[in-house]
Amino acid sequence: MQSEDRLIVFDNVSKFYGEVLGVNRVSLSIEPGVTSLVGPNGAGKTTLMNLMTGLLFPTKGTVRVLGISSSDPETFYKNIGYCSQFDAFPKGLSGYQMIRSMLALHGLSASEAEDRTWSVIERVGMTDAAHRRVAGYSKGMRQRVRLAQALAHSPKVLILDEPLNGLDPMARAEVIELFRKFAESGMHVVISSHIMHEVDIVSDSVIMMSGGYVVAEGDIQGVRHEMEDHPIQILIRCDRPAVIASSVFQQDSVVEVRIHADGRGLLVSTRNPDRFYELFNRIILQNRIVVEAVAPADENVNAVYQYLVGSNGVPPL
Amino acid sequence: MAVYKRTYTRYSGPLTDERWRFSILPRYTLRSVFGSRFYAIALLVGLLPHLIAAVLIYLRSHIDALVSLGFDIRELQFLAIDGGFFFTLFIVETFISFFLVALLGPGLISPDLANNALPLYLSRPFSRAEYVIGKLSVLLAVTSAVTWIPGLILFGLQTTLVGPSWSWDNSRLLAGILVGSGIWILTISLMALALSAWVKWKPVAAAALFGIFFVTAGFGTVSNAMLQTRWGTLLNLASAMRMIWRWLFLQESQYRITTPPWATMPAWTGLITLISVCGIALFLLSWKIRPAQVVR
Repeated sequence: MQSEDRLIVFDNVSKFYGEVLGVNRVSLSIEPGVTSLVGPNGAGKTTLMNLMTGLLFPTKGTVRVLGISSSDPETFYKNIGYCSQFDAFPKGLSGYQMIRSMLALHGLSASEAEDRTWSVIERVGMTDAAHRRVAGYSKGMRQRVRLAQALAHSPKVLILDEPLNGLDPMARAEVIELFRKFAESGMHVVISSHIMHEVDIVSDSVIMMSGGYVVAEGDIQGVRHEMEDHPIQILIRCDRPAVIASSVFQQDSVVEVRIHADGRGLLVSTRNPDRFYELFNRIILQNRIVVEAVAPADENVNAVYQYLVGSNGVPPL
Repeated sequence: MAVYKRTYTRYSGPLTDERWRFSILPRYTLRSVFGSRFYAIALLVGLLPHLIAAVLIYLRSHIDALVSLGFDIRELQFLAIDGGFFFTLFIVETFISFFLVALLGPGLISPDLANNALPLYLSRPFSRAEYVIGKLSVLLAVTSAVTWIPGLILFGLQTTLVGPSWSWDNSRLLAGILVGSGIWILTISLMALALSAWVKWKPVAAAALFGIFFVTAGFGTVSNAMLQTRWGTLLNLASAMRMIWRWLFLQESQYRITTPPWATMPAWTGLITLISVCGIALFLLSWKIRPAQVVR
């Protein structure tokens, strides 16, 4: 159990925009590491992020970030770095000027702000374009400079709305690596994304939202194992799949087996994976089956999302 | 869940005084205003009445010497450097400062709204009020440069040329310059900011500002004529300010001699009008300056 000063805590939080529901009865404790918010458009991800950053106040309930409420802005915002999903920049400023101004708003002295500005600009690979106006940047460059302003004051909690949008594959890989490093150093990195395989790669835990409600939270394997309505699918590649297929039906919990068309593998659906693995080990030892690979087929964000939200994760057009 | 070591530490060095953080906002705007040839010319034009007034004050105080040198400026001996002099000067500056605000004000908030910059500012230890004060300070700085600052310089010039007794006898003028300028530049600046927050397109916001200024004045005049009343005058912001200037520069007695009693308006009605305008502008700003916009 972590103490509250290391957690982002939502305590029965609801946010209504007049009669429109933003989020409803959300109770969460987010631990350090990379946490991804996943859900279709209008699910309440941005509202949740705005509540976390203190940009919105909850209609009901309380939000505390590392034990601090947004009613103490000086301490609260020292800990938070926020990157909105939309293009956001003050008109007429260069990337350098924008980041430096934002650091000055945090109360850093001119020389400290100057040093940190260059350091973060270098970190996001924008040194050459630092003195160009943000309005003239490409989408990817704007994304980098937005990320830079969120990182510049060294917050403990990074809240990033769609931070991978507009980045080329190399930049994505670099940014994901950066998130991992931050998480390893004990920071909270909360991101929202529609790109499921990247969520899978980067996240320690996932918060899945739909219609303003949190429908699942936790590490994705844990969430998947709790979904008893949907049998877990296990993919096996081996030399004699038919032998395994005929044997696994001894167990009531195995509900479906499909042999691959190439005859070199099978897909097993089971309601009790632990019991299945015990049986599977016995079968391969007794029959001397050569196994190339065994892997869960639907223990990923996309599968869980499909089961819980009922879409393939691609936002509706 | 992975177990991580807490090796990360955030900045814990000294911080600047939070009371002055609003001044970060106008830094680049003022730099571009004073760096722009267009705005520099506009400021110089705005200072012309004060330059002319400075010349008149100088000539008036040296009239005997100049006449003895052969300059034909005898008419200037009838010019009194008193409340009436400053009243006339500040009536002119009322319009000039308004034009400067109309040039600069509409472009202050609308670009931040159009470019979603508010969440960037407000996700820091920086409040909505500080944001508005930061933007307001741009307009206050520019309009101050053509109102109370040169006004004080003129007051100082006259004191230097005539002697401290003039300053003592006319101390009310000093208060008039400061208080009157403060009321006027605050009113028009808040109006311009409110329009900038509500009208995203800069030329339309400027047009709306002129519209409010001139159309309401015309409407007030028509109302006065049609309804045989004097209250329509309050719709004219320049007239409302003129009532205040008149009271501050002790010109009310003169006004009551030249204006029929049924048409005179007391200064407090003008003050209430301008306070109401400020109140409406603040309400509009608080409505629009929000960190997160809701798309319905």
